[in-house]
Amino acid sequence: MTRPPNEQTPTVKLVVVGDGGVGKSAITIQFFQRLFVTDYDPTIEDSYLQHVEVDGQCCILDVLDTAGQEEFSAMREQYMRKGDGFLLVYSVTDKNSYENIVNFHTQILRVKDRDTYPMLLVANKVDLVHLRKITEEQGRELAHKLGIPYIETSAKDPPVNIDATFHEVVRIIRNQPQPDHEKQKRRKLSKLGKCIII
Amino acid sequence: MLLPTNSTSVGFQQELYHSVTEKTKFFASKCLNRSISPSGDRMNDSFRGRFRFCVCTLPRKSNKKTTKWYVKQPTWRLWGEEKADGALYTVYLKKVRYHRPTRSLSSSHSDSDDEISHLEWETVRVRFVKAGTLKKLVEALSTDDGELETTYINVFLATYRSFSTPREVLRLLLQRYEELLDAPPNGKIDQHEQHRKTLVSALHVWLDSYPEDFKDPPNYTALNHLLHFCEEFLPATELHAKVQHRLERYSREAQADPLLVPPPAFALRAAAAAAGWKVYKLPDVPVRHFAEQLTRMDVDLFKKLVPHQCLGAVWSRRDKSRSHEAATVLATVNQFNAVSFRVISSILVEPGLRPIDRAQIITCWIDIAQELRLIKNFSSLKAIISGLQSNPIYRLHRTWQSIPKEKIELFDELAKIFSEDNNQWTQRELLMREGTAKYADTVGENDKQLQKIFQKQNHHTANISFGTIPYLGTFLTDLTMIDTAIPDVIGDGLINFDKRRKEFEVLAQIKLLQGAANAYRFDADPAFDRWFDSILVLDDREAYQLSCQIEPGNNGSKLKKKASGHQKNDSIASTSSSNSSQFYCDIDSMPSSPHNSIDRKLSPSQMSNSSSNSSLPSLDVSLNSSHSGGASNKLQVPYVGNNTGTLSPSHSQKSSPDFYIIKVTYETDSVETDGIVLYKSIMLSNNERTPQVIRNAMYKLGLEGNPDRYTLAQVLPDKEMVLPSNANVYYAVNPAYNLNFILRPKKSEESDTSMKKGK
Repeated sequence: MTRPPNEQTPTVKLVVVGDGGVGKSAITIQFFQRLFVTDYDPTIEDSYLQHVEVDGQCCILDVLDTAGQEEFSAMREQYMRKGDGFLLVYSVTDKNSYENIVNFHTQILRVKDRDTYPMLLVANKVDLVHLRKITEEQGRELAHKLGIPYIETSAKDPPVNIDATFHEVVRIIRNQPQPDHEKQKRRKLSKLGKCIII
Repeated sequence: MLLPTNSTSVGFQQELYHSVTEKTKFFASKCLNRSISPSGDRMNDSFRGRFRFCVCTLPRKSNKKTTKWYVKQPTWRLWGEEKADGALYTVYLKKVRYHRPTRSLSSSHSDSDDEISHLEWETVRVRFVKAGTLKKLVEALSTDDGELETTYINVFLATYRSFSTPREVLRLLLQRYEELLDAPPNGKIDQHEQHRKTLVSALHVWLDSYPEDFKDPPNYTALNHLLHFCEEFLPATELHAKVQHRLERYSREAQADPLLVPPPAFALRAAAAAAGWKVYKLPDVPVRHFAEQLTRMDVDLFKKLVPHQCLGAVWSRRDKSRSHEAATVLATVNQFNAVSFRVISSILVEPGLRPIDRAQIITCWIDIAQELRLIKNFSSLKAIISGLQSNPIYRLHRTWQSIPKEKIELFDELAKIFSEDNNQWTQRELLMREGTAKYADTVGENDKQLQKIFQKQNHHTANISFGTIPYLGTFLTDLTMIDTAIPDVIGDGLINFDKRRKEFEVLAQIKLLQGAANAYRFDADPAFDRWFDSILVLDDREAYQLSCQIEPGNNGSKLKKKASGHQKNDSIASTSSSNSSQFYCDIDSMPSSPHNSIDRKLSPSQMSNSSSNSSLPSLDVSLNSSHSGGASNKLQVPYVGNNTGTLSPSHSQKSSPDFYIIKVTYETDSVETDGIVLYKSIMLSNNERTPQVIRNAMYKLGLEGNPDRYTLAQVLPDKEMVLPSNANVYYAVNPAYNLNFILRPKKSEESDTSMKKGK
């Protein structure tokens, strides 16, 4: 159990975005290790909270995945505002989802009013080799254009790179350049972020 | 005590047959129960869930069923799993107390120890289908004892479409009936008869609760199949009559001449004429009335919502070609977006407003939102909050500064309802508390503004009762997550029915709220509909551009750069300064303006997920084109705030969009529309030519046909200026006057010549 949030541990808000059907929910569920658990309940308070340790530093990951609400486009910016970092997910079997990534990217930057923001491009469903339409090269090319890192994942068992994806976003958030008005907050986070090993 | 409320235990003590509504109330109270209990206590929770599921599965001794009364506080113990041919069961041992009904009735108001001494105890074994083949699942519609298990049938009928079809289930059900006609091996004929009766009850429940499953014109295969079955095995029964009646009604409806029904457009206009000449303009509108009208639209859609279309297997797994399967969900989503988009565009559409005037429009929306909270319409409430929190509105700092402090507080309190914190806990909690309450009364202790408002309303609306319109998105996400997390099949390909039970908990809540929504009674106001339809809808990019015209950013620098489509290279390189990462791509050769170069290549279809349903496809073009604009451009706000001086002139290419918002009225000779002016606002950008503008106007006005057959004219004080057939309309209009236009069909000879010219 990951609650209650320790005051000493910083909370990192991650937002998972991408078209419907790209497997966002599977990535999230797999990360929270409840895939194929029969008593899974999506309505309880801590469904999407987890303690993680990345590079020796602890944090609480608070993941917002609005899978199923993709078409409520008007509320997208509202939840984007809350994210400290973003997973931009597309499916390698779905060209449209790949092409739409750029829209999410633009929208996040606009909402954040920044030129860059911690994001990770996630090419999902790489297990479906025969259905693959977007190559790794195309994925990297897009990542390169957007100036964000790239990772390939599969949420099917055995999962590929799922934990790595979430940990990587945490790293990106920690390593981001600090704009003036956020410096204070970040400094606080890094000071408090030391892992207490019991 | 396992049962938290009295209302539920009363339900238990009555008949074993519960209606869907009563059943779903159990789930609602169950969820209320859950949200109060510590969330770590999950085992207990899921156990409680099971407890509720088996309320109606009590075995009763057939000879004295009326003397058995079920008393709360049974003790449950998980016994284990049991495998049978084609099915997997979860088995519980349950300790039940019985006592005589006369006793219970006479002393039901007292809970004395004395009463308990009259109880009898018994341990019974109860099993639930965990998974099974379709055939076994259909058989399980009647329990081992041949009873109708109402919870089971409700779960089954609400969810079976994710693993089968109506036709297949009907086939198996009727086949099962025929099998039961043979004498059982143990010779207990009456047991088989009981099973058959139960199957007939199941058919009744099915026909009554899901009539659409049988409405498949023109052949009505399922219904005819059922009719033949009745003729053979159940002639002159209630079921037979029901099926016959249903079939006749459907065929009669199909034959009804559609021409006799007046077209809705005509009806609307007639109503509009009756209502006279009311025109709404924000911010001077009756906010309560607006909230009621928005609710009236939402109630229509919510009552039509088919809950099982929300299932993960239908909604989130659907592909575009099958979108009609989730049509009622989509309609709800579209309405939500439509409201949000109207909030956004109503605030932005007149760029020349002073901040204080724009602030009044925002305040007006906050007031409408407050009324929606009182009416318990969480769908439009969230839509308005989302609109006000969308980037183009949220970033208008000067405007927000002009809003009174209490209104900002009120807005924050309303927005807090939809906080994502702790998995939308606030919203879930609120829905549980007020879902079936008569009026809104839940307020946080720090919500000062809402507290005041609630106090005020309680004086006025003591006798009014409202339903509740939920924000559907949370249910859709929950169902998507359940669908992802729990497998469809387990074991050797058995259908995982426990998954369906889980899904039903969500569907039952929706159904419960749908029932409660009948309490709403708001009459339609055509003037409101006209207002709603007339508002221009901007997609997110257009809205952002307009917003940047109104307030080009706080300190200028960052926003400036983005607004003009450029950014520095080093800002990108800095993202990759992490040396701990193994995933970074090679960034040495970054192009100079990566975002924008991709941005510009976007086609309207790629933007479709943000603008698909509510905006003009043609609006996506041309907004990024750089152009300095006409001198008297009303919409153009001069760029201010470029005081950083970091940009070279060639970079600040003034890409501010140049467009007008024009009002177009459609005029025909038809008498029908005489005296009623319906106008639509459309966006006119600087490179649109007459045919394109006419096409946009036709789209908005709902006209079909060839744009060449229409003319467009600007209404000037003393005359009309007809636009040449291929003019650049942006430059042709006279911006010195109101931008009112008339669209009319060409006289026949005119259109002929233009057709010739066209060739």
